[in-house]
Formats: sequence, C-alpha cells, structure tokens
Amino acid sequence: MLVHLQGAWNPWLGRLTLSQIPYHSPIVLGAFAFALLAAAPIVGLMTYYQKWGYLIREWITTLDHKKIGVMYIIIGLVMLLRGFIDGIMIRTQQLLADGPRSAAHLQAVHGYLPPFHFDQIYSSHGTIMIIFAVTVVLTGFQNIIVPLQIGARDMAFPYLNAVSLWLTAAGAALVMISLFIGDFSHAGWVGIVPLTELPYSPGVGVDYWDWALQLSSLGTTLGALNLITTIIMMRAPGMRWFRMPFFTWATLSTQTIGLTAFPVLGVALALLSCDRYLGTHFYTAGLGGNLMLYTDLFWIWGHPEVYFIILPAWGIMSEVIPTFSEKALFGYTVMVAATLSIAGLSWAVWLHHFFTMGAGPGVNLVFSVSTMLVGIPTGVKVFNWSLTLYRGRLRFETPMLWAIGALFLLLVGGLTGMMLAIPAINYTVHNSVFVVAHFHTMFLVSVFGIFAGLMYWFPKVFGFRLDERSGRRFFTFFSLGTVFVFAAMYTLGLMGMTRRLDYLYNPHWQALLIIQEFGIFLYCVSVFYFCKMIYVSIRDRAKEAHGQDVWRTSRTLEWMTLTPVPFYNFAVIPVVHGRDAWAMRRDSGLTATSPGDYEDINLPNNTIVPAMLGALAFGFGFGMVWRIWWLAGLSLLGIIGLVILRSFADDRGFTLTAATVRRMERNHEDTGIVTDHISPPVAELALFQ
Amino acid sequence: MSRTAHRLIGPEEPLWAPHHPEADPVSLHTLGFWLYMMSDALIFAALFAAYAVLDHPYNAAGGPQISDVVHPVAAFIQTVIIFTSVFAYSLAMVGLKAGNRAFVIGGLVAAVLLGAAFLGLELRDFAVLIAEGATPDRSGLLSVFFVLVATHGIHMVFGILWMLVMIVQVAMKGFTTAVVTRLLNLRIFWMFQASIWVCVFVFVYLNGAYR
Amino acid sequence: MSLHRADPLDHPDVRNASGIAFVAGYAASVGLMAIALMVTLRHEMSYVRFVIAVAILGGLALLAQAVLMFRLDLSGGQRWKTISLLLVVPLFVLSIGLTGWMFHTLYPRTMLDFMQVQGSGM
Ligand code: HEM
Ligand SMILES: [Cu+2]
Repeated sequence: MLVHLQGAWNPWLGRLTLSQIPYHSPIVLGAFAFALLAAAPIVGLMTYYQKWGYLIREWITTLDHKKIGVMYIIIGLVMLLRGFIDGIMIRTQQLLADGPRSAAHLQAVHGYLPPFHFDQIYSSHGTIMIIFAVTVVLTGFQNIIVPLQIGARDMAFPYLNAVSLWLTAAGAALVMISLFIGDFSHAGWVGIVPLTELPYSPGVGVDYWDWALQLSSLGTTLGALNLITTIIMMRAPGMRWFRMPFFTWATLSTQTIGLTAFPVLGVALALLSCDRYLGTHFYTAGLGGNLMLYTDLFWIWGHPEVYFIILPAWGIMSEVIPTFSEKALFGYTVMVAATLSIAGLSWAVWLHHFFTMGAGPGVNLVFSVSTMLVGIPTGVKVFNWSLTLYRGRLRFETPMLWAIGALFLLLVGGLTGMMLAIPAINYTVHNSVFVVAHFHTMFLVSVFGIFAGLMYWFPKVFGFRLDERSGRRFFTFFSLGTVFVFAAMYTLGLMGMTRRLDYLYNPHWQALLIIQEFGIFLYCVSVFYFCKMIYVSIRDRAKEAHGQDVWRTSRTLEWMTLTPVPFYNFAVIPVVHGRDAWAMRRDSGLTATSPGDYEDINLPNNTIVPAMLGALAFGFGFGMVWRIWWLAGLSLLGIIGLVILRSFADDRGFTLTAATVRRMERNHEDTGIVTDHISPPVAELALFQ
Repeated sequence: MSRTAHRLIGPEEPLWAPHHPEADPVSLHTLGFWLYMMSDALIFAALFAAYAVLDHPYNAAGGPQISDVVHPVAAFIQTVIIFTSVFAYSLAMVGLKAGNRAFVIGGLVAAVLLGAAFLGLELRDFAVLIAEGATPDRSGLLSVFFVLVATHGIHMVFGILWMLVMIVQVAMKGFTTAVVTRLLNLRIFWMFQASIWVCVFVFVYLNGAYR
Repeated sequence: MSLHRADPLDHPDVRNASGIAFVAGYAASVGLMAIALMVTLRHEMSYVRFVIAVAILGGLALLAQAVLMFRLDLSGGQRWKTISLLLVVPLFVLSIGLTGWMFHTLYPRTMLDFMQVQGSGM
C-alpha cells in the first residue's frame, strides 16, 4: 500500500540523511547564525538567573488562560518576524530579478535566489503569516480577554486550552525546523495541485507544510470548542446575551467558523497525504483523480478562514473605538447581527477563489452575488464605527491610531474585494498581484487590529503601559510602509504582473518595484521602533504602572479587575447590570474590585501533560515527514497512552483559601503575570515527593 | 468621564455573586464534546463532498465501477449490527440511570463485541476487494470509497478502545462525576457512528448499487 | 472538574435515558433502513426518484436517532446541542450541494465529456 519512493530510505532515519541539511546554502547558514545569535543570550540569561524552573512551573505547565494567551501571542509575534523576513527576501528578489539584464548573485541566474529556494520562501511566507502569525496572535487575544469580559475565572476547559496551545506550538516548530533540516513546500500557501503530488514534489517540503497545518488546525478546532463552550456556559450572573461585550460576540462567530471550517482543511490535507503516502488518486492528474477537488475543499475552509482572521480584529476595533471616542458602540445589535451573518455567509462564497475553473455561468453568478452580499454587513460595520466616532470625544492614543488605520485599510481591501467578486473582472486579474494586494490589505486590517489590541490590553495584562512615543513612530512608519508597498502592488497588478514570479520579464516595472522596496525599508524602520517601544516600556515600567482602568474610559468588564490581572481573575464574581458593565459601575462610582469579604477559590493544578502531548505531536509530525515509521508510531501510541493515563488520575485541583485571597487583594501583593511562586502547583510534582 | 448613555446602578442592586456556583461540570463537558462531534461531522461532510465529485463513472478510470464493489445486503447486515451495538450502549445508559454497575458493564461489553463484529465484516469486505485487485490506488473512485468507509471504521476503533477504558473505569471507580461524564460523552460518540453510517449506507452502498 | 457535590446520576443527561425511547429509536432505524434496502433491491424507480426516496428514508432515520437516541429537545440541558446541530446541517447542505453543483456544470464544459464519447477511461 505504501508508495514506492525514489531515493534513500532506511528504517532508522527514514529519508533523513546528512545531505538533507542545507549547509551549502549561504542564506540558510545566515538564518542559522541569526537563530543562534537570538537564542544564545536568552538561554544564557535563563541559566544565569536560574529561571528554567520558573519557566516550567509558571509557564510550560500552566493552565491559566492569560498565560496561555500570552504564549500564543509570543509564538505569533516570533512567527510574524520570521514571515516578515521572508517578505523582505521576496520583495528584494523581485526587485533584483527584473528584466533580462538583471544581475546574478550567489547561486541564482537572476537576482540572488534560485527558483526552488524562492518558491519555498513565498510558500512559507504565506503559510506562516496566515496560519502561524495572525491566527495565533488573535487566538491569544481571545484566550486572554474573553473569560475576563464575561466575568469567568478561566476557560471552560483549561486543560484542553493548554493542549491547543502546544499543538499549535508543535506545528510552528515543524515549520521552523524545515528551515534547517530538509526543505519547505514550494507549492504556495494554498498548495497548488498537482504540484503538491509526489511525482512533482518528491521531497519532504510538501509534507512539512501538510503536517504543520494539520497539527495547528487540530489545535484551532479544539480551541474553538473551548471558547464557544466558555461563552455559552461561563458568563457571570446578569451577563445576558445582549449584554456581552462586542469582542466576545466577535469571538463567538470567529470560533463557530473555527469549529466548522477547520475540519474541512483537515480532510483536504489528509486526502493529499493519502495520495502522497498511500498512492491513492484523489487529486492526481490521471487515474480518476480530480485536481479541482482539492481546490474546492481547500477554499471551503479557506474563505471562512479569512473571516476567522478578520472578525476578531473587528472585535478589537469595536472595543478600542468606543473607548477612545468616550461613547458606546453605535448600533450594537446591528453589529452583532452583521457579525453573525458574515460568519454564515462566509460559508457560501468560496468559489470566488476559482471563478476561472470554468464552472457554468449560473454557478459563477450565484457565487458572485453571494460574495457581494458579504459587503452589506461589512459596510454596516464601517458605518457603525464611523458613527461611533461621530461627535465622540476623540483621543488619538496609539490603540486608537491603529484602529482608525484599520478602518481605512478595510475600505480599500473591501472595495477591491468587490471588484474581484465580479467574474468578468476576476478573469482578467485572477492570479495577478492585484489579488495579492487585495488580501494583504485585508490581512493588514487584522495586523493593525492586533497592534491596536496589543497597545490596548498590554497594560491590563502586565500592569504598565507601552511607551507612547516610540509607539507612535512604530505606527507612522508601519502605515507609510503599507501605503508604499501596496499602492504600488495594486498598480502592478493592473499592469499585468502575475503572482509568485521569481523572475520578472518586464523592465518597465522597475520604478514601482523600487517604490515597494522603499516601503519595505519603512517597515524595517517600524520594526526598530517596535523593539524600542518594548525595551523602553520595560525599562520604565515603574513609571508607566497603572491602576485597574488604564484608559479611564474603557467600558467592558476586563477593566474592573486588578491590574495586572491576578491569576484567579475575580476575587468574587461580579454581577452584571447592563451592557458596558464596567462603564456603568464606574459612572455609578462603584470601582471596587471585590466586595471586601472573600471566598475559597478552586483552580485546576498545573500539569506537564499538555506540553508532553505537544512534544509527541511534534515527534509524530516529524516522523511522518521523514517517513520514520517507528517515531511516528511510537509518538502516536504515546499520545493515546498519555490521554488514557491522565483519564485515570483524579485531579482534585487546588484551593486558594479566602484568607490568602484577602491577603493578596488587601496588601496589593504583586499578583502579576510574571511573578513567581503564586500559581497552582504542578500536579505531576506530587509523583516525585 | 464618558457620556452616560446607560442608567446608573442603584444602591439596592447586588454587585457581587459570592459563592457563585461553578458551571455544572457534566453539562459543560457534554456540551463541549457535542461541539467536538459537530466538527467531526464536518469531516464527513467534506468526505461526502469528495465522494460526490469522484463518484462519476469517469473517475473509475476504466477499473471497477462503484456498483461492482458495494454489496447492499452485506452492508445491511453491518447496519443492523452497528445499530444493535448502539442499542446495547443505550441500554447501558438505562442501567446508569439506575446506578447499576453490572448492567452498565454488561451493556458496554455487548457494544464492544458488536462493534468488533462490524469491523470484522468491514475488514473482510476490504480484503476481498483488495484480493480482486480493487485497491484504493486503482482509481480516484476507489480511493474515495475506501477512505470514506475507513474513516468511519477508524472512528469505530477509537470508540471500542474508549469503551474498553470505560469498562475498567466503571469497575474501578464507580460512578464518579468524571466517569459519568465520560460515559455520556462516549454515548454521543458511539451514537454518532450509527448516524454517520446511515449516510454511508444510503449514499454509498444503496446509491452505488442502484447505478 | 472538581468539588461538585451533586450526584452525577441526577444529571438530566443521565435521567433522559429511556428504555422505551431507545427501543423505538432502534426499531425505527432498522425498519427504515430495511425499507431502503428493499427499494434498492426491487430496482423499480427511476434513478432520481430512487435517490429522493432513500434520502428521505435516511433523513427520517437520522431524525429518529436525534430525537429518540440522542434525546435532543429544547430543554435547558439540551438546547445548545440542538441549536448547534441545526446550525451545522445547512453547512452539510451547502458544502456537499454546492460542490456537487459546480462539478456537475464543470464536466460538460471541459473535456471529460469528450473523452467519454471517445471511450477512453484514462
Ligand atoms: C468584502 C469582502 C471581501 C470580498 C468581496 C472578497 C473578494 C475576494 C475575491 C473575489 C477573491 C479572489 C480573487 C482571485 O483569486 O481571483 C479574494 C481573494 C482573497 N481574499 Fe478576499 N474578499 C473579501 C474579504 C476578505 C477578507 C476579510 C480577507 C482576509 C482577512 C480576504 C482575504 C483574501 C485572500 C487571502 C484571498 C486570496 C488568497 C490566494 O489566492 O492566495 N478577503 N477575495
Ligand atoms: Cu474568499
């Protein structure tokens, strides 16, 4: 049944040989050196200050939704940086390889990247940015904020939450390791068939892409059911449906998509794996396969996925804009309806990604109309945000700047999306960089939303504000970079430049390519200010420390808790009296974080099992990629065994007595997220005592 | 301060809910697991979509057509067996209601045996097909046939494994909250396999035989 | 998860087990599938009518299972399960139905038909 592979294979190492380590490529070596340089000081400092125990006790084993969220965000930001470097490389190659006279560097004929390497870079750029950067950071925000906004002490399933995190981490680790062992897919983030089939991609690149996506999509599905259950079941008394903060609504529709769409991706990829491992003919070009079946399944997931990415960003905008307009969100109910209908509609538009497949005109018509229908609720949202701003008392602090920037980008991205939704136009610009510019504008709405959320909620979680000065410069350079890169890209698209080119045949594009490269330079400057912002803020953290309600005009329940949020969130669960619960309390002069008498709080123990499951999942993925069957098999058995074993343990959890809570709240003890020694104990440690 | 578009909280209104009960763990877990099954169901939706595409005479690539590989009567026997297995599990649930351990374990054992019988028939069916040369790598049509049916089969395998674990846990621990919750989740899981099988039986076996 | 003192056997999900309902659900499922089998073996209808007939029978069997085996209803405990199921069913219809439709219109417009006329299986 297993397909016969060309090339070396042995039972111990599978397809892995020393020659798979690309030490002959100067670029990979450079990346390796960079990774070492980045990792060495961290490892050194951790060892010097003896922080490994802290890391394991307080972070790796944690079930606290805020810490899990922070780890999601850290993974996502690291991947964002990696994807950004890929982006620089793509842009630079296209700039250098324009026209037959363009110079050759390193091992390339034009530019500095040979085609196979270039293809891997744009594939990993897309995969990383969409699946491992933006999605992961947004998941982190939802993890941190939703339980706080609905007045809960944790997620419905804290243990499962950690499992989701570590599955995602395993997927990210697979992508990262592909840089140094073997290669990555060269078939685009969407996995173009039949290029992904074994005869055309005999290496391990496609398998890396496949299993990395598979693992993280499993993590996302589990995270989705967790968040949905949390929102349905864990709301504080009085938190009726139409009193929920808008971000929570956005999360609910996002995760509905996550729950239902990701399994379809799983199937699309699993059938590809069947082709690649078992020799079946789902997507092959002969023997009864159908390549368009892959495209179909992929986009059944793919289009809902783009809303999975943008809805939480819209949720963040809907929190930030009212806060800095000092006014309630305009048209809350309509907003909720719009969000839910977008989630629903997102399931009925996917063919617009392959209008050119050649289905009948009726089909294209229906999907064109359904795509345009999405524009209605989206437009409603734009108007609602604008009307929230209208006659508001506007304060342009950094979160607000990002939110307004997102609003403008949404307009550009939405309108170009409408253009693409017209089949007649689509036939001419499909697969051009016009499409690339469209979806980058859209994803940048999410990225702007992410930075808005980062600036907005950072003080809540860590207890001090981010530096405003460098924050503004970060925003300015990032926005300018966006304008330069993507205005030029839209133009190039209309001039006929197709996507994914490692060599451009038209020297007349040079000017616009230079403009794009200049935009990239501005982005680099913005990254510098981002790092400076983090550095300055940490340095001056004592000066920037703040109380519970950092912005003084925020409206939702998360601002009621102590800052930084203690690990039990609420000493006593609050009663909610209406929408914008915190604004109501503050305006009524009721700003206490708890009633003054306390109660025992029961929390789950920390546990190492989720991290072990993640490690085993990584082992499974790695084994499958290299066809090291014993490794994959043992890892799978290990996962099953661990799950069964844990189901036999009776974890009674850990009780924080009322006296302790009183002491912590009254003395303003440092209960912040980075403090040591206050979290629940690690369950497995009991085994060693 | 922000403009007040909302009413203020009166002094008599309660602000806190001390000793607010945690969400009932059984309901919480069964709902979460149910949602998981919804996403599992969409795995089958995608597989059926694939089946709808590849179920075209052209996709047989000159090899056996679907009507050559499905046997509706044999599949009906499988259908009855899986329904009976689910029925046995349901009876165990009646036993659970009465708090009767022996009854629950008996029902689970019966469900396991019937599930194993179902899988045995399925494997025999596969073995015959493969011996005839109707292998999954013969054509796109056979690929989707095998993978769809086997995906259901793998679910059955995990269901049986889970039931074996639960037999041990019921015997060891009795009806603790955790055990009862797992029994309820497993009920959802096992019944779902029967529901999915209805779709497989109707759209693959019967529909295939009618061609 | 932890210190819930209530007896789990009093939970509505345990209480809703009912021998009568289970017997009825079992009988309905087996019966409906038996009818579907008969319809298939008789082979009297046109193909389209046959598909509609077995789809209805299958749908009824699923409905019987949802109500009698899963015991779904709109009571407090089951409400969200029922709602989520009702929200997922349209996704089945959309994903399978629209996929079927697009490929159905695709084949006459591409070379597949032509190849069939030529009698080439490959
Ligand atoms: C008003 C709403 C939108 C409309 C009408 C719309 C329309 C379209 C259309 C018609 C295409 C296909 C272009 C082609 O390949 O020929 C497309 C591609 C794309 N859109 Fe949108 N879109 C909208 C919103 C979004 C959002 C919110 C996102 C993401 C956050 C997004 C991300 C993408 C991506 C990633 C692609 C193409 C990916 C690829 O081919 O690699 N779109 N859009
Ligand atoms: Cu789309």
